[in-house]
Amino acid sequence: MHLDPFELHEPATVEEALELAGTLSGKFDYLAGGTDLLPNYKMHINLRPHLISLERVSELRGVSSNRIGAMTRLAEVEESPDLSRAYPGVAEAVREVATPLVRASGTVGGNLLLETRCFFFNQTYPWRQSLGFCLKADGDRCHVVPQKERCYATFSGDLAPALAALEAEVEVAGPSGRRRMPVEHLYNAAGDGILRLSLVPGEIVVAIHFPESARRARSAYTKLRVRPSFDFPELGVAAAVWGAAEAPEKVRLAIGGLETYPRRFDEDTDALAGAPLTDARVRTVAEAVTRRVRPVHNTFLPPDYRRRMTEVFVRRTLSRVRAPNGSVAA
Amino acid sequence: MASEASPYRLLGTRIPYIEGPLKVSGRAEYTDDLTRPNLLVGRLLRSPWPHARLRSIDVSAARKMPGVAAVLTGEKYPTTFGVLPITHDETALAVGKTRYIGDILAAVAASDELSAERALAAIQVDAEVLPEYSDPHVGLGAVAEPIHSRGLNGSNIQKEVHQHFGDVDAAFAEAAHTVRVRGTFAGVTHAFTEPLVTMAEATPDGRLTVWSATQVPHYLHRALSEVLGIPLHRIRVLKPEVGGGFGGKSDPLPHEIVCAALALETGRPVKMLLDREDVFLTNHGRHPTQNDLRVAADAEGHLLAYDLSAVIDGGAWSSFGTVTTYYNGVLAMGPYRVPNFRYHGRRVYTTKPPSGAMRAHGGTNVRYTIETALDELAEKLGMSPFELRMKNALPPNSTTITQFRITSTSFLACLKAARERSGFDEKFRKLPYGRGIGLGCGFYISGSNSPIHFTPKMPQCTVHLKADMDGGIAVHCMQADIGQGSNTLLAAIVAEVLGVQLERVHVVPVDSDVSPVDIGSYSSRVTFMMGNAARQASERLLALLLAAAHELTGYPAKQLRVREERYEVAHRPEVGVSYLEALHKAMEHSGALQASGAYTSPPMGGTHKGARAGTAPAYSFAAYVAEASVDAETGFFAVEKVWAAFDCGRPLNRLAVEGQIEGSIHMGLGQFMGESMNYRGSRLLNPSLLEYKIPTPQQMPEVEVLLVGADDPEGPFGAKEAGEGPLVAILPAVGNALYDAVGVRFYDLPVTPDKVWKGIERRRAEGTPWKGT
Amino acid sequence: MASRPLRTRVNGTALERTVPDERILLDLLREDLRLTGTKRGCDLGTCGCCTVLLDGRPTLSCLTLARSAEGREVTTIEGVTPAEGLHPVQRAFVERGATQCGFCTPGFILTSVALLRDHPHPSREEVARAISGNLCRCTGYTKIIEAVLAVGGGK
Ligand SMILES: Cc1cc2nc3c(=O)[nH]c(=O)nc-3n(C[C@H](O)[C@H](O)[C@H](O)COP(=O)(O)OP(=O)(O)OC[C@H]3O[C@@H](n4cnc5c(N)ncnc54)[C@H](O)[C@@H]3O)c2cc1C
Ligand code: SF4
Ligand code: FES
Ligand code: FES
Repeated sequence: MHLDPFELHEPATVEEALELAGTLSGKFDYLAGGTDLLPNYKMHINLRPHLISLERVSELRGVSSNRIGAMTRLAEVEESPDLSRAYPGVAEAVREVATPLVRASGTVGGNLLLETRCFFFNQTYPWRQSLGFCLKADGDRCHVVPQKERCYATFSGDLAPALAALEAEVEVAGPSGRRRMPVEHLYNAAGDGILRLSLVPGEIVVAIHFPESARRARSAYTKLRVRPSFDFPELGVAAAVWGAAEAPEKVRLAIGGLETYPRRFDEDTDALAGAPLTDARVRTVAEAVTRRVRPVHNTFLPPDYRRRMTEVFVRRTLSRVRAPNGSVAA
Repeated sequence: MASEASPYRLLGTRIPYIEGPLKVSGRAEYTDDLTRPNLLVGRLLRSPWPHARLRSIDVSAARKMPGVAAVLTGEKYPTTFGVLPITHDETALAVGKTRYIGDILAAVAASDELSAERALAAIQVDAEVLPEYSDPHVGLGAVAEPIHSRGLNGSNIQKEVHQHFGDVDAAFAEAAHTVRVRGTFAGVTHAFTEPLVTMAEATPDGRLTVWSATQVPHYLHRALSEVLGIPLHRIRVLKPEVGGGFGGKSDPLPHEIVCAALALETGRPVKMLLDREDVFLTNHGRHPTQNDLRVAADAEGHLLAYDLSAVIDGGAWSSFGTVTTYYNGVLAMGPYRVPNFRYHGRRVYTTKPPSGAMRAHGGTNVRYTIETALDELAEKLGMSPFELRMKNALPPNSTTITQFRITSTSFLACLKAARERSGFDEKFRKLPYGRGIGLGCGFYISGSNSPIHFTPKMPQCTVHLKADMDGGIAVHCMQADIGQGSNTLLAAIVAEVLGVQLERVHVVPVDSDVSPVDIGSYSSRVTFMMGNAARQASERLLALLLAAAHELTGYPAKQLRVREERYEVAHRPEVGVSYLEALHKAMEHSGALQASGAYTSPPMGGTHKGARAGTAPAYSFAAYVAEASVDAETGFFAVEKVWAAFDCGRPLNRLAVEGQIEGSIHMGLGQFMGESMNYRGSRLLNPSLLEYKIPTPQQMPEVEVLLVGADDPEGPFGAKEAGEGPLVAILPAVGNALYDAVGVRFYDLPVTPDKVWKGIERRRAEGTPWKGT
Repeated sequence: MASRPLRTRVNGTALERTVPDERILLDLLREDLRLTGTKRGCDLGTCGCCTVLLDGRPTLSCLTLARSAEGREVTTIEGVTPAEGLHPVQRAFVERGATQCGFCTPGFILTSVALLRDHPHPSREEVARAISGNLCRCTGYTKIIEAVLAVGGGK
């Protein structure tokens, strides 16, 4: 499989990159590790004539205990003992991404921004052409929910929920300067599988920042997928709990792999603060969350199963972190 | 496990592959590693429609595009071909009609991939869309637009088999116990790592040379000759190293012929490497199948009858389908004695990628159906699954009701070994809820007795040897090593018989100009047939060497013994000559020594229609026990350990046999756990190695291989097959282990976690406890 | 179409050549340099047959632009094979039957060489995890894991 010709740009600084982005507006993609973008390009999905590689932008690199540069390879995160100790949920999520070979190239920024996925989208050009192109690339209808003019492609990144549960922030740089926002705000809850991000065109993800409080949380990530490597999440549940087992200060839950964006469930988890996380209370939250998620049939496992597993996975993930030793008297 | 010391120097030991050093260093040459000067790239335009009548294909614009050397459409080569002479229904490119999404409409040869793709995009195809038939059940009756004209009575049925042996209805009437199951199997595919690839070159001397990733160089050779209209001797087929086949490279495939046609068209070498999606669309994998089986037994558990019917989804072409249809029935005939048997099998064309032969072809789905039904039967009888099988085992030197000649069988030894090593009796129904153990057994042909030949009287395999002054021995044979280790076995047999070091033996890569015909790597025939041919050739060469040793020592050949690199007098070991001395002496008479050996399978089988299907000179047997654990809340399960007792007669290369068994278990587990060709209508949804779920290393259980076979009387040095038989038993072993774990039977493969979860929920809802839960 | 000079090291030798921007590392190796030991199994990151070492780290050459090798060291299977004989990992693969059809083998060897460099005595689980991005359809991984463990002194 070949790549159609494009022009590659290799800026050395964020500013240079933004300038290029301004000039090439609408005609480029950023390239990080390429493990998401290049397969799509090989399948001739939404090609652009220019690629702006972020590989040489040194500011985007580096891992410390409270910051991960966007161009940090997933493998580097995995190998950082500091991060793994501080944010076990993130470490678990990173270890579960794709395969070791993909993690050698794949970056944190690319993982947050990876394309949403769908059986009718992640296909070669002839395949899509033969079915009739869909809304998300070259076409005007959806093969999953044909009644609607909306795209249901699934957000399939593992890191976003893990970071969102820890209330991590993302720093972005754009034409009008830099800003920081909670990770989950990167995504457009009011959008769909196409209008999936809240970024303005040209914006670059610079880094992830962990608030001081994140180090105090107990966190975990549980991933549903058919095989223990290769497969994208069909459901990914991240949980974080702050404070004592008897009276947690705060509980956060974030879920990916089910809908068009990774989602937090603060309405449900806020009620968990202050009283022991008993089996019954954990179950109640798990059930409430399950009632609200709406997976569709565009991944390998049937949506009903993925929805029902949400209850199990939320329960299990919360149970793992509800107390320092995982168990609480009912 | 065979405890007696091996009478052989090499055979029976662990022999690393002779080409191993080339493979591990990246120096082994696969077809895509080869190149030729002035090489063109070939690409294919595939049908976007499942079923359509082609009105016109306009290639005029494509022809004029930069870099384009040739554009080809179907009408130029309308001759049909197919692996079975009786069902030639394929054309190299679609002619008149297209029958599945992926059928080849046109082909381009261009200077580079990009130019070729651009040319493809410029081809205009006008077609009338016809009804699609994705469900084989729809095609059982007359349809508006049959996919092929050969469909029976206006239906899409490609092959229908009715067989009845004994009196099944009477047997059921007197049965004390009956079991009825329906097994449903999604299609699976070979997914070898090396994509399909061919290179071809037509030269001004009027010859055509074709290099291809094939496991049947000889059948490819013939299909090329027939379709392209070139005599066989003007075509040279070479098989470089092949990166796995599993049956997926055992048909002559359309792209191979198209590539050669483009080479003829352009007078230049052309290489055609298929993308992974193309490989999935070419398929020829295991047939989606529905098996309805009834089993009758008497009060003591003696099997009385099988009544089996099957609907088999053939996809767009026949391929091996006629054989599949028979096999899906007659491979039910072992490893147990079944006195009455009725089979109704129908293979139906659908507008989907063609199904064909895949490892343990025709035997896998029916085996799962039977072995899980027997597990049910044993439960009804209150009998150990082992006892049930022991009671019904086919004895050695017996005949099945379908007239299969069973010579050697160590099936009972397999059962014993698997039972004891696994501690089955201590675990069965006694492990805690969520953990289970199960037995599955198997039986497979060791080489189809019917060669697909001009005349069945010709040998199925010929081996040529040449020993020259350098002391090396060149071995020529068209057998296709596709990773199973047949080159190594060939060399080892020659070295064993002649007493020479293995490194003296050079297996010459397959080249139809010099390799005598062997019909290929399929039906688990190579060890048995090539092995016998190689042994015969080697013994003939040895006779020449011993005659020379006689000249040198004065002792008659009969009194000489073969030692390492030496022929010596049996009762006076100090008297003898070296291999080289004997060789050089012998060469004084004739120059380089040559010998030829061949294997033709003996006549066998009954006289009923289809009697040849399933006949083989020997059969392998298996008894596998699997232990599994289930996460009852999610349906995820893990196979923890497998005890694989196998009868391949004498294992000639233990390393290779173990590798075949481990690899088969992995592949069988894939079909059980998650691999499936997923369709929406006729459209393949998952033509990628990401969405086609081959198990990962973490999902692979520990495997204990137990080789318990006794020598087969006709197998080379007592050997039988170990390439396909090892696959069939793993699926039911795991299925039965899951039942033992959670009390749910799974008859719909693959058994993905959502199905396990659903089954557990259903059982819970019914309120039937299992092992106290 | 844009091209630019690429300066890299391949198997210890400096390489300077002009490559088109969209050139994929796998194509550079196989087509331009004819280092055909690196295999193309899927072109999409799903099989690991194309694994090479990029600055020592096992990397999918089919999802890496040739440009990404700028100023870095690429090691292919040809680069780990000594002039005479075999690397210990290669030897173990041969002796233990860890290669059947061999098409996946160069990728597994490179992954394993890197694993054993960083973790000389891996456990069975560590080996299984490390090779979990390399697909083998022949061996069931059993003998591959055994071979790696054998080099690492495990059993
Ligand atoms: C076989 C396979 C399996 C996979 N399995 C998983 C999985 O299980 N879980 C999972 O999460 N992912 C999976 N992936 C997807 C992917 O590999 C990872 O998500 C990876 O982290 C993407 O990072 P990248 O640097 O390669 O992204 P790229 O492909 O380089 O980029 C992805 C997208 O993000 C944009 N982008 C990247 N960085 C920035 C930035 N700093 N600023 C602005 N835009 C940016 C790019 O323009 C592009 O649109 C898999 C991929 C493959 C090939
Ligand atoms: S959900 Fe619909 S619109 Fe979105 S990618 Fe899938 S088919 Fe296309
Ligand atoms: S060829 Fe690169 S992963 Fe398959
Ligand atoms: S040895 Fe054939 S794919 Fe691994």
